[in-house]
Amino acid sequence: MDKTGKKNIRYFFAGAGLLLAALALMGSGRRSGTGREDVITVGVFSDSYWEVQNGYSYRILEDAIALFEERREGVRVEYVSGILKEDYPEWLAEQMILGKTPDVFLVFGGNFHDMAEIGALKDLGDFMGQDGSFSTGEFYSSALACGEYAGKQYALPYECAPKLMFVNKTILDAEGIGIPEEDWTWEEFYGICKAVTKDTDGNGTLDQFGSVGYTWSEAFDSNGVELFDQNGTECYLTDERVREAIVFLEKLEGLYGGYHVTDRDFDLGRVAFKPMLFSQYRAYKPYPLSIKKYSGFEWECISMPSGSSGENIGKLDTLLVAMWENTPNETYAWEFMKLLTSEEQIQSEIFTYSEGVSVLRKVTESDETLKRLIDSSGEGSGLRLKALSDAVEHAVAASGFRNYGEAVAEVDKAVNSIMDGNANISMEQIIWNREINNFLKEQRER
Amino acid sequence: MKENRLPDMVFAWMLNLNLWVILFMAGIMAASLYGHVHENTALDFLQGVGGMTYVPWKIPAAALLLYGSLLFFLCIRTDHTLLFYMKTGAETGISLLLAGLLQFGYTGMILLILADVVRNMANVKRKFALLGAVCAVYLLADYHLFSGRYGIIPFESYLDYYRGSVRSFLLGAKNVLASLNILVFIIHTALLMREQMSEKERILSLNESLNRVNGELQEANRQLEEYSRESAKNAETRERNRLAREIHDTLGHTLTGIITGLDACITLMDIVPEAVKEQLSVIADVARKGMTDVRRSVKALRPDALEKMELEKALEQMMEETKKASGIEIEYCCSAELNHFNKDEEEIIYRIIQESITNAIRHGKAGRILIAISMEYNILYIWIKDNGIGCTHIEKGFGLHHMEERLGMLYGSLNCFCDNGFVLEASIPIRWGEVV
Repeated sequence: MDKTGKKNIRYFFAGAGLLLAALALMGSGRRSGTGREDVITVGVFSDSYWEVQNGYSYRILEDAIALFEERREGVRVEYVSGILKEDYPEWLAEQMILGKTPDVFLVFGGNFHDMAEIGALKDLGDFMGQDGSFSTGEFYSSALACGEYAGKQYALPYECAPKLMFVNKTILDAEGIGIPEEDWTWEEFYGICKAVTKDTDGNGTLDQFGSVGYTWSEAFDSNGVELFDQNGTECYLTDERVREAIVFLEKLEGLYGGYHVTDRDFDLGRVAFKPMLFSQYRAYKPYPLSIKKYSGFEWECISMPSGSSGENIGKLDTLLVAMWENTPNETYAWEFMKLLTSEEQIQSEIFTYSEGVSVLRKVTESDETLKRLIDSSGEGSGLRLKALSDAVEHAVAASGFRNYGEAVAEVDKAVNSIMDGNANISMEQIIWNREINNFLKEQRER
Repeated sequence: MKENRLPDMVFAWMLNLNLWVILFMAGIMAASLYGHVHENTALDFLQGVGGMTYVPWKIPAAALLLYGSLLFFLCIRTDHTLLFYMKTGAETGISLLLAGLLQFGYTGMILLILADVVRNMANVKRKFALLGAVCAVYLLADYHLFSGRYGIIPFESYLDYYRGSVRSFLLGAKNVLASLNILVFIIHTALLMREQMSEKERILSLNESLNRVNGELQEANRQLEEYSRESAKNAETRERNRLAREIHDTLGHTLTGIITGLDACITLMDIVPEAVKEQLSVIADVARKGMTDVRRSVKALRPDALEKMELEKALEQMMEETKKASGIEIEYCCSAELNHFNKDEEEIIYRIIQESITNAIRHGKAGRILIAISMEYNILYIWIKDNGIGCTHIEKGFGLHHMEERLGMLYGSLNCFCDNGFVLEASIPIRWGEVV
């Protein structure tokens, strides 16, 4: 072989070697941190998703880890403690950039779509299909839908909380009104609000109100409004049901004569109804602080009133568990995810150590759960588990797409503008719909 | 090919420039990512760009490795079309990986491949298809074509980390470097073109001088043809002369012998009639021999003796016969190996000696002839001396003339003078190993 040929071979091998090295580096460029197959890392935050300091921050996780390590000997589960909920999404993003993303991590319901969009989450379809011991039927379909993006399951629900209507029983008792049935409607809601809104001390200003915090969002959900299509390309603000909801909200606002009812009014026992997440209800219930806060009245939670074209449903907030797209330990990661989300023992602990609702129907409806709830709250009279379970099952899964939050803010602006203005509602709906569609288009093209 | 040509230097420049652009961009990307992490804006960044990034430090590291790999592939030199295609394909692949790593914010390294192809494609088939393909890759490897797909994050998004003024400076610097790369590429191509054009000019001038030489050659050819025609005419003349010489050599020699013999007989007739008888029979022999010679000459124009036997024997026989026929004394001494000469050489040696003996008897009336042959450095010397009447002034007759002519054909020389008789010196350069 001549000199050039020999040189060429040397160059080729040097080039190919460097290329392989580069490919190896790039291939591992997005892998998660430890690189060890017998260690899986979990991303969690220290306080409760439901904004409550309950002292049990890692209790359920620790139990799950113990169970997992018992079943899978030799595999360790690690997590970084001490990350606050408010810092958690940023912390997670930083880990992703630094290549230290946990194999399994919690994802906020409101964060999920962005995470899925940037490709941080693994499509769980294959795991779910191949794992015989896993059944999606055990989950609440609404909760499961919260982990869906573009028709694929990217996360499993870990715990959830439906939006429920909180009733100040003291006011209703005083006015001689019974607690509404589970299938109550806007008409009944409006009737009660009208009946309780009054000036009790006769000083000329209203001091008792029907509702607080019942916004267009709750009204839309209860009237079957779907605001956007799945990909966030189109807004359906011109829907007749939207008009119905706005008309209803205007009527409801009209009751208070321009007075802006606040949460403080509710805390003071001067408001009959307030929509709340179930977790808020549970958080306030057992703690001395909350008891003191609401000591002046008795209260209970019921389903949301249904609109003329909708059902008795509200939004569902969920905390999800997802797997890192580039995890090297997907088998163990999946097993651990499964343990967190569909193991009855772990899920039932949610009722003891957290404030949410288990995502498994069987667990939520079990007698043991009732016992746990009574144990933790001291009284269970206000809880009808079947009703709670139904509320979760039928809840509206938060739909989402990239920049969903911004789109919702635009809708908020639109609805407020329509309600504040005196113009024809349908006309305004068309104008705003066009504006929001333009906004969506801009967002997509960015 | 000359070393360190100008295009080579420009190409080296391009290699350098690309390294800096790539490092610059990879550095900015890594720094921006670390910055976002440091300032807790990682989430905003990821949400804003809607895609995943590489681990920061791995971006410049992988970029360096890929660029190094590209350099090695660029070093491969081949004239084999398939190998060249494979090499270019590999380079393009690496470049795309590198461009992908830099989020298609920079694709100048494809120009590097293009420059390399242009430089080395001289012996490659379908080079323009290859050039077209690489050009197409360069044109299509644009961020804006892929944006929104394949999770590509525009380089500008990384730059957004920096303050407005710094951002514009960095973006400007990157664009200037990228433009500089294009400029260097253009210069490189222009230089290559200029070089190829001067190469063409050189070939053109070579062609011209070739044409000129060709014309000269044709002229020479024409002259040669003329010469050959002349030469044929000359050959005819020479052949006629040769014929004359043959007649003179053979018939003249024989007749001289016969005349001399008959003269002797006339003298002897009255004194020793017996001897006359003997002499007559010798003369008859000579005449017969002459007859045969003439026949031969007519047939082949070659001396018979030489035809039959080797030169040495032929000479001895010729001298013996002359001695017998004319009764003169011939002293012969030869220190050279006479055989294995070429035919024409043999013939001329034979003829010179034969002619000299004839001359000595006929003109010199000599009674004794001395013949010496010697060889020195490829030159054969023949020296012949008789004790005849000699002469004061040499008049070259037909025989001498022909001798000279024959010698001239072999580049030999002839010298004759009188010193108590006639002396003839001839020298013939011998061509060894040549077949005539």
